[in-house]
Amino acid sequence: MSDGRLERFLKRHGDVRGREYRSALALSGYFFLITAVFYILKPVKESLLIGSRPSWWPYADLVSALLIGFVVAFNARLLDRLPRRTYLTASIFFFIASVLVFWYIFDIHWSGEVESPVADPTAILFMLWLRSAITYEFPVFVIAFCFWADVFIAMAVTQFWIAVNDVFHPHQAKRLVGLFVMGGLLGGIAGSGVAALATFAHVIRPENLLLAGPVLLVLALVTVNLVYSGQMKVDATAGDTRLASASRVGYLESFRAVRKDGYLLLLAGMLASAIAAGTLINYQFKTVVMSAFGDADDRTAFIALFFMVVLAVSTVFHVVTTGGVLKKYGIRWAISFAPAFLLLASASVFVIPAGLLLAWVLASRGGDKVFDNTLSQSVRELLYVPVRGEVKYQAKIFIDMFVNKFATGLGAGLFLLLFHLRQFDYRTDGPLAQVREIGLLVLVFLALWIVLTRLVYRRYPDVLKPEIRRRWVGGDTAIAEHVDVDLTMKVFNTIQSRERSTTIYLMNLFDLVGRSELTPDLKELLGIKRDEIRARGMDALLDVGGAGFFPGIEEVIDDPEVRREIDLIFLLPAYQEIMAKRLGEIVASPSVVDRIEAAKIIGRMVPNPPTLEALGRLLGDPASEVVLYALESAAVHRRPEHIPLILDLLGSPMTRAEARTALAAYGPSLVDLVAPALRDETLSPEIRRAVPEVLARIGTQRAAEVLLSEIARRRDGMEQALVDALYKIRAERPEVRFRKKDVRPEVLCLVRNCCNLVLEPSGAAESAEAALSLRLKRAFDLMTLMYPAEDVVRAYQNLQRGTPKAVDYALEHLDTMLDRELKALLLPLVEDLPPGERAARLRRALRLK
Amino acid sequence: MTTPLTIKTREVDGVVVFDVDGEIRRSDAPQISLHGLVQSQLERGRRNVLLNLAGVGFIDSFGVGEILASYKSIQDLGGSFKLCKISDKLLLIFKITLLDKVLDIHESCDRALASFEKG
Repeated sequence: MSDGRLERFLKRHGDVRGREYRSALALSGYFFLITAVFYILKPVKESLLIGSRPSWWPYADLVSALLIGFVVAFNARLLDRLPRRTYLTASIFFFIASVLVFWYIFDIHWSGEVESPVADPTAILFMLWLRSAITYEFPVFVIAFCFWADVFIAMAVTQFWIAVNDVFHPHQAKRLVGLFVMGGLLGGIAGSGVAALATFAHVIRPENLLLAGPVLLVLALVTVNLVYSGQMKVDATAGDTRLASASRVGYLESFRAVRKDGYLLLLAGMLASAIAAGTLINYQFKTVVMSAFGDADDRTAFIALFFMVVLAVSTVFHVVTTGGVLKKYGIRWAISFAPAFLLLASASVFVIPAGLLLAWVLASRGGDKVFDNTLSQSVRELLYVPVRGEVKYQAKIFIDMFVNKFATGLGAGLFLLLFHLRQFDYRTDGPLAQVREIGLLVLVFLALWIVLTRLVYRRYPDVLKPEIRRRWVGGDTAIAEHVDVDLTMKVFNTIQSRERSTTIYLMNLFDLVGRSELTPDLKELLGIKRDEIRARGMDALLDVGGAGFFPGIEEVIDDPEVRREIDLIFLLPAYQEIMAKRLGEIVASPSVVDRIEAAKIIGRMVPNPPTLEALGRLLGDPASEVVLYALESAAVHRRPEHIPLILDLLGSPMTRAEARTALAAYGPSLVDLVAPALRDETLSPEIRRAVPEVLARIGTQRAAEVLLSEIARRRDGMEQALVDALYKIRAERPEVRFRKKDVRPEVLCLVRNCCNLVLEPSGAAESAEAALSLRLKRAFDLMTLMYPAEDVVRAYQNLQRGTPKAVDYALEHLDTMLDRELKALLLPLVEDLPPGERAARLRRALRLK
Repeated sequence: MTTPLTIKTREVDGVVVFDVDGEIRRSDAPQISLHGLVQSQLERGRRNVLLNLAGVGFIDSFGVGEILASYKSIQDLGGSFKLCKISDKLLLIFKITLLDKVLDIHESCDRALASFEKG
């Protein structure tokens, strides 16, 4: 297959995108090679162990558990000191050299003779000693080889996933993990296939299988260097610092890093439970197999066949499920499949008859291995990806190598304890009873595993969040942080009123001074301060000449006594009687100034019928400036009879803002009075579109319910105003609750509309894209009602303006947060996909042909 | 006597520039809505807007409302809204009312244009 065809094949079947093709392919190849090496070595290791006494088996696990800590420490030091590429190259060279040493030792043991590889006669004594040691202390070399094999697989796999973490971001890795695991599985099948065929056909002696290791490892060395050289070029052009920011801490620091991080601790606990359960299941398997196969050759052949079948089943299972489960159910459920299956399988041992024991143990151990090779491995590795770079690598080594082996040792230790306490050696009740007793321990670890998976998943989104920071502050918040909009408007109105009338100016000034937050600058601006009365630019601005209006005004209007006197005048019956008569005349006056003065002063008067009647007339005044002041007074008196008049004023852009403020001042009782206006077709669309914000300002639970029921009517002209209002309530009133079952259909409807815009674009491409962008924003705003608002906002902002890494994390966060249907519809809209694939995925999600 | 409001629209390097002339104030005669113009640009997918106030002598509370509404609409979509060539007296009021803390105000329109994020 040519390069181009392979690329197309991977893009079509492996969800490989853009420039990631070469790195993804090379890493899959790398994983193929190291797994092939391991499965070539594994039969040799098993064969050697089975050849020893069975009581050695747990000790082999315990030795690994005890010594792996030193390897971790050394490995961490290497990772700390060496550049990543050098570190990987040096490790592979070490494994090549050591596998040759083991081959030499086993060759001596089986051939029974010493053949010096060099013609140096001074080595003869050493070789004689070596021959004697190999002959008489052979079990020590077997244990050493088992330990070396454990170190090899632990380090090689850890290094592979470190390389994946270096090269890919979480959402990328989730897409590509299937390809990597497939590489590993095929490597396992190829390795075990080569080993089985070569052994059964007697093509080569078992120890000579070891010689295949160095050959494959040299290829792995070339592959991993290709990955890093290619990645460095990509990073240099993209300005990415992933490789440059390799962590620089030692073993103790890596232990501390895990201990300090709650998420990593849970991850370590989850892995330890899984490994301990798996180790105990392995002892159940060994117990049954030993009892079923007395002959060592039969047993070896059975075990070899078992691993072949497990790998073949793993491959099929992987192709059918891993990618699909991750895409469909996400990490949330994928993480739980293995422990749930094993819990059921392990519990069933207490009800099966002895005749089914072998079949049961094959299902149990086979299930554990199949999950471990496929879904569990994929999910486990994906859970590391979003961890901060400086902690990730050290934690991964510590967990994968030390915790892994510690858990194996724990399982082995518990088995040994049970073995001696329950005297398995002297029992005559058969393997079923022993397997059930081990099964009790297995159930404990499986239960712990399930609990920890839920805890890990609960913490997973928090690990993603630090990478998804806010990119900008919302308009309302930015304004509210610095500006008192109401005060600012009053200041502008006051300044403007200077050109209208001294009376209005003084009335406005009187109101403003009543507010304690007037700064000296504002007082200066308004011409209140006597010393500053020749206000520099203000006089010019307002064309009022160089003198202040009233020298001494500051002392007068700041005097509480004066303010009280003025208030008392408004309450005087005589004043009210005179003004009641006078108001009627003023309202009918042709002078705009007179009418403004009347509209303003009504706000300070007692609301008797003549006053309110005059206010009603002023609310219908043809001059918008008069209406502005009338609305201010209406907000003070809040009479129901004025509501229809104020609603009408929402239709004009000149009075809309003040009308909204006046209506909002009515408070919660207004909600049911204005709700019908949302559906009143006799009102202009401008009026209806202005009502949602009034309800948002009131912001009660009832207001939210009215808005939500209105959005369910799905009238396009109202959609933006209703979503904006609901978003405002969500942002400003955390106490208001939204039921997911009410919101979800509307979010889905909005997102489906976005899908339709993509599938059936109308007009020019630019305008279609702009329309889609606005609709998507609306959908995200509405999503804040059913998911944590801050998380939704951050995801949206990073999708719009984030770095490639932040975009990937935002996608992963959405993938974790959203339900299946919404995810299937929304992700293709926001992911960077080729148009054809986007359309195909949207059609699938919409179930269109 | 108020000067009628006129707004000319042009585009420079992906930035929509509104050259405003006259007074942005409440009027009983029908007039152009600045916020309406901004919204129509947002519907076209434009996210960067510069308001050239060189020809503006007066802004009342209605005008401030229009400017703040425009700022909010653009900001919510992650865009940038800037002002340039604002008169000294308006700048003084904007400073005292702290509007300058929210609105990105530039003396020169060229500098304002250069300050928009490219792309």
